[in-house]
Amino acid sequence: MRLMVAAVGLLFASVAFPARNPADDGIRLQISPRICTLTGNDKECATPVRAQWRSAHDESLCLIVLQRPEVRHCWEHYSAGSYTMDLVFTEDLVFQLRDVSLDRVLASEALRVIREALQFRHKRRQPWNIFD
Amino acid sequence: MARSKVGSAAAAIACCLLWTTARAAGSECTATSDDCVATGTWSLSVALGAGVRTNPVVGGKDIPIVVVPQFSYYGKRFFIDNLDPGVTLFDGESNTLSLVASPGYDRVFFYRSDLQNIFAFSPTSFSGGKTSYVTKPSPSVQAQTPDAFRELSQPARRVTYLAGPEWTFKHGKLSGQLDYLHEITGRTHGDEIRAALGVPLGSVLGGSINARAGLTWKRAATVNYYYGYPGLYKPGSALNPFVKLGYSRPLSSKWRFDAFVHCERLGNAIADSPIVDRHYVTTAFIGATYVFHK
Repeated sequence: MRLMVAAVGLLFASVAFPARNPADDGIRLQISPRICTLTGNDKECATPVRAQWRSAHDESLCLIVLQRPEVRHCWEHYSAGSYTMDLVFTEDLVFQLRDVSLDRVLASEALRVIREALQFRHKRRQPWNIFD
Repeated sequence: MARSKVGSAAAAIACCLLWTTARAAGSECTATSDDCVATGTWSLSVALGAGVRTNPVVGGKDIPIVVVPQFSYYGKRFFIDNLDPGVTLFDGESNTLSLVASPGYDRVFFYRSDLQNIFAFSPTSFSGGKTSYVTKPSPSVQAQTPDAFRELSQPARRVTYLAGPEWTFKHGKLSGQLDYLHEITGRTHGDEIRAALGVPLGSVLGGSINARAGLTWKRAATVNYYYGYPGLYKPGSALNPFVKLGYSRPLSSKWRFDAFVHCERLGNAIADSPIVDRHYVTTAFIGATYVFHK
């Protein structure tokens, strides 16, 4: 009996207060590339990044990058859009689609930075060498 | 006598290596720095400027130095540092033990086309070498040769490579290097010890001054290959000490100013050779270095 009450309560709660899921809005955000791998002498990622979104109906929204406050690109009454930006970064970047007031997150994707497992060693110390 | 000295030196080096290897902890290289490099990376730089290396061989022209390319690659164990390939056996916080191969040095005075001159080359670096030299008068030679000077036909001096263990270390600001090398290309069958210490002296005008001192010991077989002459002069082993003073100042992320003076005193066994007329070799250079890849 207690279990049934709990189950009914959960069902009621889920109907009365639906969880906010960006996918529920039908807005799909894709970024390319999704991963940047730093290898060898690479100190940072420097690459054009393309963000694309699509929705079932017209939207007014803005694309922002959390770690790049200067990046903001907005659309009004569009059902799809794409924006390409040249970015230089060393850490993960989070791309978000928000409403025009920037309060509500409609979709979110991350561009991951993966550092190749670097091993370090000493350079050769060579005081004997004339030109070293 | 010479063999016992070399044996003692080799034993001392071996003891040092064992002692340092036993004492040293793991490498503390965790990022790229002046001392450390990520494995699998390479670097290339070229110094452009004006310089000269004096030539102690009688009649040999001084060697101009205009371009000095520098290349290195470091794998996890393998490395190549200009003309010196090597394998690192142990890389500790303060001590590194490697097996290295390195070209014989003295050939630079006889052949402008020697690889070591190409790595510090001038427009004339690619010309061939000489096959005869004028000899200087020396007491022993004068007794056999009435003429003060005479032309000697010289045997070819081939490219040689030496190989052996190399111990390098850093203690505070002091860095050191000790190599015990044996000729492996079948020309001289000689041994060579290379040792040097380097220390920064301070900063001047935004740059750093560093000083180095060291020595090269060459077994008689090596000295004889380059500076001996059959029936005329058979040298013993030679000990060449040197000092170097250098200055380096960054100019930008890619350019830096470099200047140095290196002075080496030739051992008596070399300086007494009838084809050598100087006791010192001086190498000086001033110029700018461009770093293509670091």
